[in-house]
Amino acid sequence: MSAAQNAPGKPASGTPAAAAFATLFLLLPAGLVLGAAFLLPLARLFGLSGSMPAGVLAPYLELLGDDVYRKVFFNTVFFAIVVTAVTLVLGYPLALALARMRAGWRALFLLAVLMPLWISVLVRTFSWMLLLERNGPINRALIASGLTDTPMSLLFNKTGVLIGMVHVLLPYAVLPIFGAILRIDPALLRASEGLGAPRHVTFRRVLLPLSMRGVATAATFVFLLSLGFFITPALLGGASEITLSMLVENLVNERLAWPLAAAASVILLALTLALLAVAGRFLSPAAVAGVGR
Amino acid sequence: MTGRGGIGLNLFAAAMAAFLVLPIAAVVPAAFSQSSFIRLPPEAWSLRWWHVFLADPSWRRALVKSIEVATWAAALSVVAGTAAALGIARLRGTARRLALALFVGPVVVPVIVLAVALYALARSTGMVGTTAGLVIAHTMLALPYVALNVGVSLGMLDPRLGLAAAGLGASPWRVFRTVTLPLIRPGVLGGAVFAFVTSFDEVVLSIFLAGPTVKTLPVRIWEEIRIEYTPVVAVAATVMIALALAAAGASRLFRRRAA
Repeated sequence: MSAAQNAPGKPASGTPAAAAFATLFLLLPAGLVLGAAFLLPLARLFGLSGSMPAGVLAPYLELLGDDVYRKVFFNTVFFAIVVTAVTLVLGYPLALALARMRAGWRALFLLAVLMPLWISVLVRTFSWMLLLERNGPINRALIASGLTDTPMSLLFNKTGVLIGMVHVLLPYAVLPIFGAILRIDPALLRASEGLGAPRHVTFRRVLLPLSMRGVATAATFVFLLSLGFFITPALLGGASEITLSMLVENLVNERLAWPLAAAASVILLALTLALLAVAGRFLSPAAVAGVGR
Repeated sequence: MTGRGGIGLNLFAAAMAAFLVLPIAAVVPAAFSQSSFIRLPPEAWSLRWWHVFLADPSWRRALVKSIEVATWAAALSVVAGTAAALGIARLRGTARRLALALFVGPVVVPVIVLAVALYALARSTGMVGTTAGLVIAHTMLALPYVALNVGVSLGMLDPRLGLAAAGLGASPWRVFRTVTLPLIRPGVLGGAVFAFVTSFDEVVLSIFLAGPTVKTLPVRIWEEIRIEYTPVVAVAATVMIALALAAAGASRLFRRRAA
């Protein structure tokens, strides 16, 4: 927060020095919390990753050179890509429908999109454990409908992880796309239709390009959140669906391999920041804050 | 429903709304089952597992601990976050961008990375298994949302109001208390509720920092469902849903008052 010191304060109160002091004073409590519980731990983790006797890069080389770990990286990126694609395909039409609804219906449907965000990911994932069970309601319904004779395995495998992650992350795809569609001037769509363009042409040539910024924001959010997802893959996945965040947990709690865990965390963080740097121009801090609820 | 959407699009939206909401509701009937294992829907209904939940000191302690930690985290992050929003509003240029980047940090860094980093630090400072450790971690997580929320409220404020009060001789603290705070109150209250729920729902930081002594409700649920679980876990999950929905309702109320 040292940058605050030489910041020009607003001339609201007294001399510039007094104004700068007041600004610093206001930022101090949050600065202390973020310094002690965010910057310091991350800096120490970075240091920890370079603490192997074999050299600073040793844990990174071990992680990147091993087939088992490569599988983990593959799983992580695989889930992120598939979940992003599925949430965009499901989220776009939902956002479009929301944008076209009358106010009352829209409020109700927005509630359905926003309400899940208030409920702990752990609870949402636990619900899926009950639903996807071997003898759970979904398998019983599938058997009753004659689609399958024996229960399908929907839990502790890729299917379970994908269903759970899509469910948790769908709202993050819907909201930015919904916002982007709302900002489109309806006159443009009417003009396209008035000029005789069929519906799918209006969609492809007018609606989709104009809402692309929202789609890009949605894709970035979902991909970012997928990369670091922990609770859902840990509970719904099996032994062969280990993701990077599960690997970190395992290295810390089961194998007590701190330098490796720190290095894996740094890699996950680097992936996240690289993605943000690339997609950064789509995102404002306010948009990122909107990720919350 | 509406003319322009087309029936197919609206049916799809209805299916998606059901997909978003119904799976979460599935856990509630499981809490009222009679048998010792979970079957949806339950074959016989009872309050048996609610009695078990309330009679078990470890579940009761977890609920109380969750509320205690969330209350502290909400209070601290509202005070620090509101002050920070006021501070950031006074910054310009690079300083402002740097401050905003720092505040967005805890939101974009994967929570497992934060958890492991905090765990490493907490281990070497004896903070694992302390209420203070959990409160600080949760405050770090919730603070950016409060600061950015209040920042939005501040952005909608006419700066001339504060200047007028100051010009009439009010001290900065008096300007804040009598002019600024009443006008940004919806943002502050909304931030407080949000911070409370962020802490109450938080699992990942908590399972690393809780140790054997300060298990919150999500930590207890996490431990149970990784092994063998009974419907009592569904009771705990239902309690969490009820509290989160109450908070969401309160937050809507604040926002409506603001409008």
